[in-house]
Amino acid sequence: MMKQQPGKLGIREYVSITVLMVGSKASEDTPSLLSIQVQNAAWMIPILSAGLFFIPLFLLIKTISLFHEKDLFSVIEKLFGKYIGFFVCLVIFAISSFGISVDSRTYTNIIRAYYFNTTPVLVLYGLFMAVCAYGAKRGIRNVGSVSYLLIFYTLLSLFIALLLCTRESNIQAIMPIWGPGKWEVLKGSLKNLSLYADFFLLTMLVPYLRSSKEFRRGTWIAYIFTIILTSAATIVFVCMFDQSLGGIGYPFHSAIRYISLGSYIPNLEIIFFVIWIMGAFIRFTAFLYISALMFGHLFKIKDFEYLIPPLAAVYLLIGAIPETPIDVSLEWKSIVRMTAGPVFTAISLIIWLAALLKGEFKHAENKNSM
Amino acid sequence: MKKNILVSLIKIFNKEPQFNEQSNAKIIYLKERDITGHYDQNLATFKSIFSIPKNTDVKIREFTIRALKRRAFILYIGTMVDSEKVQQSILRPLIENERPTGKIQDIISFPVEKTTTNIGDIINNITSGITALFIDGDRQCYIFETTQVQGRSIEKSDNEVIVRGAKESFNERLADNIGLIRKKIKNENLIVEGLVVTKRSRNDILLVYEKDLVNDELLQKIKDRIHMIDADSVIDLSILEQYLEERPRSLFPTILNTERPDRAVSFIEEGHIILLMSNSPNCLVLPATFWALFHSPEDHYLRTPYGNFIRILRFIALFISVFASSFYIAITNYHVGMIPPDLLMAFAGTRERVPFPSIIEILMMELAFELIREAGLRVPSPIGPTIGIVGALILGQAAVQANVISPIVIIVIALSGLSSFIISDVSMNFAIRISRFLFIFAAGFMGIYGLAALVVSGLFYLVSLKSFEVPYFAPMTPRFFSAKDLIIRHVPIKERFRPGYLKPKDMVKQRGDSN
Amino acid sequence: MQKTKIVCEILLIFILVSTLTGCWDREELEDRAYVIGIGLDRSKAKGKIKVTMLLANPEVGSMQGGGGSIEKPREIISFDANDFVTAKVTANAIISRKISYDLLKIMVASEDLARQPLFYNLINDAAYDKEIRMNVFLAVSEEKASKYFLKNRPKMETRPHKYFQYMIDHGIENGLIPDSTLFRFFKTTERGTDLFLTMNTTATRKKDTKMKGEDEYYAGQVNATGEFDDTQFIGSAVFKNGVMIGKLTGQETSIANTLDDTTNISDFLADIPNPFPGKRKSFAIRVMKREHNKVKMDLKGPRPKIFITLPLEFEFKSNPSMVDFSKKKNQAIIKKEIARHFKEQFEGLLKKTQKQYRGAPYPLSFDARKYFGTIQEYERFNWNKSFLKADIYVKPDVEIVDYGSLTKKAGN
Repeated sequence: MMKQQPGKLGIREYVSITVLMVGSKASEDTPSLLSIQVQNAAWMIPILSAGLFFIPLFLLIKTISLFHEKDLFSVIEKLFGKYIGFFVCLVIFAISSFGISVDSRTYTNIIRAYYFNTTPVLVLYGLFMAVCAYGAKRGIRNVGSVSYLLIFYTLLSLFIALLLCTRESNIQAIMPIWGPGKWEVLKGSLKNLSLYADFFLLTMLVPYLRSSKEFRRGTWIAYIFTIILTSAATIVFVCMFDQSLGGIGYPFHSAIRYISLGSYIPNLEIIFFVIWIMGAFIRFTAFLYISALMFGHLFKIKDFEYLIPPLAAVYLLIGAIPETPIDVSLEWKSIVRMTAGPVFTAISLIIWLAALLKGEFKHAENKNSM
Repeated sequence: MKKNILVSLIKIFNKEPQFNEQSNAKIIYLKERDITGHYDQNLATFKSIFSIPKNTDVKIREFTIRALKRRAFILYIGTMVDSEKVQQSILRPLIENERPTGKIQDIISFPVEKTTTNIGDIINNITSGITALFIDGDRQCYIFETTQVQGRSIEKSDNEVIVRGAKESFNERLADNIGLIRKKIKNENLIVEGLVVTKRSRNDILLVYEKDLVNDELLQKIKDRIHMIDADSVIDLSILEQYLEERPRSLFPTILNTERPDRAVSFIEEGHIILLMSNSPNCLVLPATFWALFHSPEDHYLRTPYGNFIRILRFIALFISVFASSFYIAITNYHVGMIPPDLLMAFAGTRERVPFPSIIEILMMELAFELIREAGLRVPSPIGPTIGIVGALILGQAAVQANVISPIVIIVIALSGLSSFIISDVSMNFAIRISRFLFIFAAGFMGIYGLAALVVSGLFYLVSLKSFEVPYFAPMTPRFFSAKDLIIRHVPIKERFRPGYLKPKDMVKQRGDSN
Repeated sequence: MQKTKIVCEILLIFILVSTLTGCWDREELEDRAYVIGIGLDRSKAKGKIKVTMLLANPEVGSMQGGGGSIEKPREIISFDANDFVTAKVTANAIISRKISYDLLKIMVASEDLARQPLFYNLINDAAYDKEIRMNVFLAVSEEKASKYFLKNRPKMETRPHKYFQYMIDHGIENGLIPDSTLFRFFKTTERGTDLFLTMNTTATRKKDTKMKGEDEYYAGQVNATGEFDDTQFIGSAVFKNGVMIGKLTGQETSIANTLDDTTNISDFLADIPNPFPGKRKSFAIRVMKREHNKVKMDLKGPRPKIFITLPLEFEFKSNPSMVDFSKKKNQAIIKKEIARHFKEQFEGLLKKTQKQYRGAPYPLSFDARKYFGTIQEYERFNWNKSFLKADIYVKPDVEIVDYGSLTKKAGN
């Protein structure tokens, strides 16, 4: 057996992972959850949240790039000391783990609801996690490669699906433009900061990129891309479903079941489903890898890749607790949604403040001038 | 850690068997010595080494060199040398020349290859068809290149057929093969380096590369890998291929095996390393990526639009041959709504009287197709084509009429089988045919979801494959500088770089403006 | 060796599992009975409905050449059930295969049932069965749906799925029936501001019908003779808040379809009165819609004003008075006549639905939305009430793309 070289992640691969991770939110229940909150102004939330989340993310990345090729956890421990740092890291790990469990269960629910009605959840879920664990064990570089191979087809199929949806939709549905009112929309976007929480977690991958400059560039490219993607998808769904959007659990899947290519190819949801599920596999593979990375960092385990299968099993067990899809969507997911956004934002700001107070910025400047 | 325990456990239960082997220390000792000046001693030594007179085709001829007035003998293997040459240019001058002269080179018109003293060395030479001359009182042995081995002449390539471009292919003779390469690259930097892989049958291989292109680290890595082989005999290049591969159990090949010299040359020019071996009518290209295995030389010989057309065709064929039958299983067993109503009605109507579930049906036909294919290969050539027709027509037609198979399945299998022929590389072809079965099972197990899961797992596996540290999908991902010759190729003028994953010494293939 | 062996063993298990499992979602496609149409009627039993299923026989018409069977192309069963989703199970007492709604094409409700207040609730079950797609068409039949399917005996398209596919697709294309998918039905009803048009069909031929204009018929009134199927798809049933409240003729339906930007009616033929002297009283023209309507609203006053401009293209299909259209004067006359005629038609329909059915026959409320900043303002405006008081002005923007062959006056 040859040991795999860890290898560095190229910027293309990194951007593809990121887009698949964050952008796939448009294809699950996020648009309809947004629509419940702010009705037809749902499409504005991804843009406004991104605007709000930009500040902490910018500060975080700025702070991290002070430390040469260090990941988030190393930076936290360096700034906060051993004990507080450990605690903060533990909180991040716990939130993200919970998030993975709930999100992966959401995906299993979609698969079961639309395509495999009678198959037990555990079988679908188990297969899902097994594939993700296998992929994550291959290392982040390979995950990046696969996502780069697939990203084009994923985006193309999403684009075609949305294009076909526009035939059935009415652009006037986004009027009245402010939905329930400007203030409500702003409040909604504050509540939905967790849309971009994945970017916070992705800072764990800094050491795996060739340089921190590439990381910054990749992050911002992906950031803009996902804003456009999520927002555009939400607009299409709002226009297509109008006021029914809130009542439809997973608008992407309802939409692809409706659209057709003429009367001779009436149903093509399977094509979209295949590509969608591939994107979903990548998404959770990357998630799983990151959380194994966190776990390894927390408990000082060097060969953290061996942790991936057990972690996947644990997530599977947690994710299997809720009995019905409604529990997942409304109760469990809202917990993650409520905590992840504010907590990650707060941590980012505190990290920056700590760095500022400790004079790390000045330190770095001095270094540069020397 | 867990793995180590497992491995040691397995070791306890499966001990390496111990054999009582005969010692050959005496011969090894002999081989390291030099020859002596004593005629009789030398004669006795070599007679015993070559088991004369038991070994019938090893010839010893004793005579006296008149010019030197000394006794001498020549030793050669009768079946491997040109005996006419030995007679005319070596023996006759030695016996008939009467002018006194001190030098063998002046007597014999045949060029002396070299002189040597080491017994082992001499033995190696004789076994490869060389004539050795021993002279009484001379501590040197004269070696004459008289090899003449019987073999095929250069013929048309059988397995990699193309319409346009050079037709010749490698044959079993190493000298011819090198000649085929040399005549295409007229450059002094082309190095043909010889290596011996095994100790017992001394199979020699040749590394061919361009000195000013190839990456030294890569070259060293390949040499190290070759030196690591510890076998008595590797009789063919295809077996060597398996020794060299990083994952010999993998479904997918990581070394390209081709019989076309033009293809080999094009890889040498890009900085790859070619391995040739005597008695093997092909060569190995190291390292090889997915793209190298997927492409065909014809893609480049045809004009760009035509070349790309067959590339895309091949790409589609790849997908059809892998996914046609599994997709059929998935949608007919799980996702019926996907099928247009007319087609669904037709499927259901024809399947109504078929007694088997569709996955058994597909498996039966896939198996039948593979049988026909294999039988067609093994059958003596005059009746070969008949087998194909008989198999395909009779079997398919009869199966449908007997209501064993539905006609739709025949279409699906025929399509996927036909498409699999478009992938010309033998190893890749096998990989695709076998993985097709895996996909069928996955689709039968969990429909399109199982299929997608296997595809993603397969992709994870494929990208983690490496051929001498070159990732399988390079230069697409991870990205390297290259001529961008992946699914679509550019016009030759635009292909400016050698593949970056090889880290060649000279990256740019053609400078000048790329208009 | 060891590794290869383990891999092989795992593979073997995998293979056995995959071939032997017949459970979960796996189902051979010939084990299912495909329902093409569902009929819904009122039942005599309380709280139940009468469900009719039209099942297609896949063996008929699918074989090329020999091997065809003498079986019937379809099977129809009717029975009482709580709803049409659980009816699947009941139907299996009669039908040998597992009932599947995968190929469901049309749901026909009898007019009687459609006028019941619980109708929407009933149809809404379709959203919960994942086999039923949202592009299933909803239709209203004059007679009982169970009778409708029985009486419907297409002569040329014996396979039911093909019959309904052709019938509906071409009907929608010609504008005679509205594009009434379940998706649109749910969407419109949940929005609650507009009327919804459902295709109207019947399999009973009316005896005493007067000759009317090109398509001023209700379903069943088209007076044709010959050897054909009695089923007619023409006109529409008007739904408000998920309950049927009235009917429109074929012509009214095509006018509503022309106004509606969300359907893609390609073009339709219409008659306009002949403004020139001559015996024949009407011109045949092909009407096409160039682009979307331009709608302007003045919602400030007590009586809202709505201005609709329709960009229409016309193509002449006949020229009964042999008019020379190379003359500008004649062009102007016919243009004016077309504008007048269509203005009358459009305004007539909108006023009719406004008065009679208290709503717009297509999603007109969308156009009002842009005049409001927030949903609250829009709700305060209360479209449903305001629309009743609204003055509607329609202006067809006429563009004639083809006058037909330019005929010269006879004798010249």
